[in-house]
Amino acid sequence: MKRTHIVSLLLIAALIGSFIATFTSTSRSVNFTEAAATPGEECKVSGTLNRDYPVVYEPEVDPTKTVFHMVDAAGETKRVILNQPKPTGLENSESIDLYGSAVGGEFHATEMLMKCPSKYNENNHVLLSEETQGES
Amino acid sequence: MTPEYIGEWTEVALLGRTLIALAFGASFVAVVSFLKGWERAGKRAFQFHAVSTFASIALIFALFGAHRYEFQYIWKHLNNEMPMRFIFSAFWGGQEGGFLLWMFWHNVLGLILLRTTTRWSAKVMATLSAVELFLSSMLLGIYFGDFQLGLDPFLLLRDAPSNWGLPWTGRADYLTSFPMFQDGQGLNPLLQNYWMTIHPPTLFLGFAATSVPFAYAVAGLTQRDDRSWMAPALRWSVFGIGILGTGILMGGAWAYEALSFGGFWAWDPVENSSLVPWLTLVAGTHLLLINRNRKSPMALFSTFYFLLISFLLVLYSTFLTKSGILGDTSVHSFVDSGILPQLLVYVLSFVGFAHILLLKSAHWRRGMAAFSVLLTVIALKGYVVESIAVFLLALTFTSVKAYRNDFVRTSEEESVWSREFWMFVGSLLFLVSAAHITWQTSLPVFNQFLEPLSPVLSKLGAQFDSALLTDLSQHNLAPGTDLDQTYHLVQVPLAVLIMGAMGFAQWLKYKKSNLAQVGRSLVLPLVLSVLTTGGLIAAFPFEWWELPRVALLFSASFAVFSNADYLIRAVRGNWRQIGSPLAHVGFGLVIFGAVLSTSQKAIISQNQIGDISTLNEELNNREDLLIMEGDTLPLGPYFVSYRDRYQEGIHVKFRMDYFDKEPQVYSPGDVVFFDGMVFEALEKHSASAQFSEDMEDHWMFIPFPNERQAASAQIWKSGTPGEKQFTLEPRIQLNEQMGNAPEPDTRHWLYKDLYTHIKWGRVTPPETDEEGWMGGRTHSMQVGDSMLIGHTLMTIDSLRAIANTEKPTRGLLEKDIGIAACVRLKNKTSRQLHEPLYIVRDSTLIPDLYEAEEFGIKMRIESFDPIAESLEMTVWEHESVRRDFVVMQAVMFPLINVLWFGCILMAIGTALAVLSRYQRDRKSASQHA
Repeated sequence: MKRTHIVSLLLIAALIGSFIATFTSTSRSVNFTEAAATPGEECKVSGTLNRDYPVVYEPEVDPTKTVFHMVDAAGETKRVILNQPKPTGLENSESIDLYGSAVGGEFHATEMLMKCPSKYNENNHVLLSEETQGES
Repeated sequence: MTPEYIGEWTEVALLGRTLIALAFGASFVAVVSFLKGWERAGKRAFQFHAVSTFASIALIFALFGAHRYEFQYIWKHLNNEMPMRFIFSAFWGGQEGGFLLWMFWHNVLGLILLRTTTRWSAKVMATLSAVELFLSSMLLGIYFGDFQLGLDPFLLLRDAPSNWGLPWTGRADYLTSFPMFQDGQGLNPLLQNYWMTIHPPTLFLGFAATSVPFAYAVAGLTQRDDRSWMAPALRWSVFGIGILGTGILMGGAWAYEALSFGGFWAWDPVENSSLVPWLTLVAGTHLLLINRNRKSPMALFSTFYFLLISFLLVLYSTFLTKSGILGDTSVHSFVDSGILPQLLVYVLSFVGFAHILLLKSAHWRRGMAAFSVLLTVIALKGYVVESIAVFLLALTFTSVKAYRNDFVRTSEEESVWSREFWMFVGSLLFLVSAAHITWQTSLPVFNQFLEPLSPVLSKLGAQFDSALLTDLSQHNLAPGTDLDQTYHLVQVPLAVLIMGAMGFAQWLKYKKSNLAQVGRSLVLPLVLSVLTTGGLIAAFPFEWWELPRVALLFSASFAVFSNADYLIRAVRGNWRQIGSPLAHVGFGLVIFGAVLSTSQKAIISQNQIGDISTLNEELNNREDLLIMEGDTLPLGPYFVSYRDRYQEGIHVKFRMDYFDKEPQVYSPGDVVFFDGMVFEALEKHSASAQFSEDMEDHWMFIPFPNERQAASAQIWKSGTPGEKQFTLEPRIQLNEQMGNAPEPDTRHWLYKDLYTHIKWGRVTPPETDEEGWMGGRTHSMQVGDSMLIGHTLMTIDSLRAIANTEKPTRGLLEKDIGIAACVRLKNKTSRQLHEPLYIVRDSTLIPDLYEAEEFGIKMRIESFDPIAESLEMTVWEHESVRRDFVVMQAVMFPLINVLWFGCILMAIGTALAVLSRYQRDRKSASQHA
């Protein structure tokens, strides 16, 4: 056994160890029901904004609290409390990813990512409607 | 029938498409010619390919210049307002431009390679041409049924798939009759800045530079007994390290200067996937250095392998970022442009090709190739994921087989005190780091593989009662959000070792070193880094769990001092030698600056208001400061004042003035409010940063303040604003396309940065009713409570019943029950008492809307509880008295300039190394000739 081989094997062991060590920190995408089953544990829930409810952000009262409702992939709606100022474009978002945990009947999010519709598609719609109007 | 379109550059579109097709065809001819050994023909074909590529790039720039909006690419990335200085950003704003940019650099590098002919030229150029063949196929834009081959940069808008069949595409006059063709949708404003002009070309040059060592390694695999390819490959890989490294850090600089995620590195998948090839390239380069001159090679397999995977990982990076597979795990949002299958084929072909070549015997190569073809057939039958999984397993087997049997090995043992031993160890450490980052970044990809295994995994999970297996069966892995857990836990210890090896190995000699001499050389750097680390511990509040970080700061400073010392002592002005130690000093400084500025960044904005009791402890976010227009608030070592806002182009800028903080001196008898309580000063003192530090020694709590105390009480302050120092203008970019985006403004000093950005600000006026009233929010208040409504401080003094005698004057009937809330309103100029009423008539509530005209406030009592002395009141504010406000965050980054300085040194160091290697190689070549 050469020294270089020993070093290589040690490092391979370290590598496998590192995968396992950080695998436990991997967060899982779940829906609201699954999140509620493990309250307080960090997870990721994806869904869309439920526009039946208002997005409440009152900076004068609390600049770091945004409250809205989200529908998850399974169709369940939950009240979400985000501890951030209201992200711009939340109302127009196409989809939302929340990172946080379930607390009681709510979801408390510490971080959020959004996808917003691109203007390109909107313009195509505009063009389409202009056209149909012109013909009718 | 297609009509004759009026005013459309139909022929130009055709010309562009022809150029792309020619470039594609020429690269094919080049591959075949170089493989056949027809070097002259290959050279001509490659030159033709390069000219076609350059011409199509020039044509796209011309289309941008002429604002030809009938072209989809122009329409998407340009509009009439965009200043022409962003034309470059616009060019590479889309995937098509990205591919063209990458091809551009390959062609430049290819033309340079063609200037000299060596025995490796034909093979190297064959590989490079094959890379170009695949890249130009990405631009063909041909459909085979549903399969899309490439994205055509010259696509006319009317030919775009999303517009297929729409009636307007058949109208000859569509360009003139629809206003939308007079203007494009414009480049995403986030890309409209200076960094986006220089970051992508640098990064893509770095990507392109990995192709050259790859091509040399492939050539070297065909003739394993000859290692003369290593000298030229080494120059190019050092060049790649410098350029790719600079490109990655420029991306960081862009994020830091123009985006608002509060740092220069976020372990985002897109950043990671460009860092990983850099790490493996560094590893491969150091193994090249070892093996270039050695008689009996060391770690030959790894030398090849690292160089090969550097390029393959660049391809993988392209696949991850451009295919849309990362989906929602990245803040860089990439849309699936429909070329995922093609990108996948591209990546897997090169991965397969490289691995097959690792095998030495023709039989094994043929067998592996046949197996790959078989898997392709199975994949085409619909078992895509399964065949890719089997393919990857086969590749692992291939690598192990090649490693064990197909490379020359030396039986001689390396000395532990040789430079090459530690360079080898360092390279492996780099590989571990790269593998770990790839693992984390690829979690969304693993989900694809886990999906077909899901039933088996969940069954096994249930059988063995294993939570891990059950979790895996969900195929929903996502990288964790806690960066310490996800990345730093592994990367920091690795970096400690790498930095240590970097500082130590520089003093070792190849083969064997004089240990005593090495030890003496290391004393000074060690002493200096101990002193530095001690100084840092004294200066910054490190926690005990940050020990790995402190260790990294120590070993990074050791690497810096050791290499700097080597530079000064050993090199003695011979510029040919300074490249490598200088680059090492630079890299050490990059790590040092990155770790220190990130871990010791201080968020100095503190939210003073808000009801955090409703949230749990983790959600307690007090890092954002709400500031009203005209107010001056303490902010760390400063006072900040929100002066005003103005619009400039697509930016709404908020002017924030920063003032010195002068100590606030309190004298005995001074009365202050803090956290709703009243205190009186016991003695003369100047205020500390926090009230809690002063409270016990200098203040007395006053549970029941008397009239004088109540009237004179001021909110406690830690200081008073002094001289105005500077103004920062963080802004919000009005971005219809992507949503409005905040952009930071940063004050730079030599030793620290003050980074500020707007977390929330109003860009459109608030909603009001016809008379200009806004709000109408109901508040629960108790007697004694105060709150701010715009400029006005509203306090509920008391509640009282309206006496019978008073009723007629207040418009009440005899039978009514009336309660008045005594509301004190106070602003800068006046103080008034107002009494809105709560009226019950015949057990019905009569709503009474009360207006305090001078203050621009309307209020209505909704309910009240006489026992708790609390009430609910709705308050409106008139727009004429409204004050603007923003929510902002301010962060101090200490010593971040060390990072940028290190980056510059690294770039200079690698440039010098490339230059000196080039000269040396030329000299030795002419001596041989």
